[in-house]
Amino acid sequence: MTNFLSGYSIQKWLESCPQGYLEDTVYGHEAGEKEPETFFENEVLREGQIRSTCNLVLGERAALAASSGLVNCAPDYLSKAFLATQTLDEARHVEIFTQRLFDLGVSPANLESTLNQFGNPHLVKFAEVLLEKVDKGDFVAGVVGQNIVLEGMAFSVFELLHAGAEADNPKFAHTLSGTIADERRHVGFGENRIGSLIKEFPEKKAECERMQAEMSGHMLATFASAFKQGEASNEEAQRIKKEAGDESHAMYHGVDLSAANTEEMEAVLADTVLKEFKTRLGRIGLEYQSPIAA
Amino acid sequence: MAEWQDPHALTEGEFLDEVHSFEFWFGAVEGYLHDRPYGYDPETEDIEMDDRRKDGLITTLCNYCVGETAALEASSGMIGFAPDRASQIFLSTQVADEGRHLEVLLHRLTMLGVRDPKREIEARANRSLLRFKERLLEFVDGHDWEAAVFAQNVILECLEFTVFRNHAQNADPITKQILQGIVIDERRHMGFGENDLGRRLILAPHMHDRLDRIKRELDSLVLTTFKQTLGELGLEGDDAPDLASDYLGAVARLGFGT
Repeated sequence: MTNFLSGYSIQKWLESCPQGYLEDTVYGHEAGEKEPETFFENEVLREGQIRSTCNLVLGERAALAASSGLVNCAPDYLSKAFLATQTLDEARHVEIFTQRLFDLGVSPANLESTLNQFGNPHLVKFAEVLLEKVDKGDFVAGVVGQNIVLEGMAFSVFELLHAGAEADNPKFAHTLSGTIADERRHVGFGENRIGSLIKEFPEKKAECERMQAEMSGHMLATFASAFKQGEASNEEAQRIKKEAGDESHAMYHGVDLSAANTEEMEAVLADTVLKEFKTRLGRIGLEYQSPIAA
Repeated sequence: MAEWQDPHALTEGEFLDEVHSFEFWFGAVEGYLHDRPYGYDPETEDIEMDDRRKDGLITTLCNYCVGETAALEASSGMIGFAPDRASQIFLSTQVADEGRHLEVLLHRLTMLGVRDPKREIEARANRSLLRFKERLLEFVDGHDWEAAVFAQNVILECLEFTVFRNHAQNADPITKQILQGIVIDERRHMGFGENDLGRRLILAPHMHDRLDRIKRELDSLVLTTFKQTLGELGLEGDDAPDLASDYLGAVARLGFGT
């Protein structure tokens, strides 16, 4: 365990993250990059971007609360050190996505009301299931919920958003690249550290599986309502692209996001995340459970 | 790095957002952590120590680990009830700092031949420091923001700042560099405590009496810790640095006199 955990040390994190892929970035993107002008010329597009970014902020706030809350109940120094880096990663994500809201024209004074207006209630419930475990000081369930379920979901959502932004919004695509690299590290820690703990405490299996089923249910409900609300924005973006004669394609797991409707996007995202859950849970000795309908 | 902005052109809120941000933290630590894995220049040669000196250093470093673990657990616990986003983000940078301090100290213990640092720390931990940690975490568990900031970012950080700064003057070259890097971080953490409590005290001056009571309670634990640390480092008698005065002076400079 010590050898594997030394790969997640603060020293490694300093070298790979702040002194590595984040070097010379400003709020996660290259200096001088801006949001596309079309967002400011078209209110439907701007609102769509604000809505999705609000949910990124709320998701990252939950991740920050969970990872910081887990530091105290970590059973060893090396896990505490890793969670310290994860805490700062999540705080950085909160900061860069909040900054994106400001870049999209939300004023700092209206930040909380905007989050309340656009925040998805299912995402709040998703976070509550996780934070209940963290508050109880349950390290095993907390890490499964945080580093496998929440981070697994975030990883796929970021990848989908990255695929959609890569051609038209390099600023946001760059911001997402750094967060994807962070999430990959977090998921890796979860898989590696929890596998041995599940073997040590097999009695925790049922509770963790139940939590995964509950969180998955809230996650699917979040996707359903988020994509429904994003319908108008997606259609508008596709119309503008067509009128401009832009024939580029944004592919995500075989689906062309430039042409897909929101139902198709929701289906491919949900399918990808749930398959990932199955694989990752299997690796740590847990059995994937079908989502409990929210 | 973020584009430079004239701090005088910022509002108070904008200024706090700026100095409590990840961007600001990264700019601050980048200079002194680059090319210093585990807090020291890898070209530095370790010196030979006799058994007595080495044993004293191991005990001292074990107790530094107790202090840093207390700071790590307290600062991470405080994120959950921090009053605003900027404070949450600052505390997250502090969590990473405290985690780094713990890591570099554990690494140094390993270099000194300690095979099981966890067991060694448990065996050598100073009781006063453990009691201090217990009190600090009680404030955190009770979501008592003012008491937690005071105990953590004023008292504990001043204690560490004082001890590490003095110890660095007489330490072996590797320990010296490690401690100097930590001291720079502590200064930033103390600044947060001073700023946060200073603003609160203006709005609620009666809070001062309560913080003063907490200080009196914790001072005795701090002063006992100093006495034991000096003994472990072999710095007793007339030549010993006056850590108590240094500490009380540092706390007084933050606005909390005796």
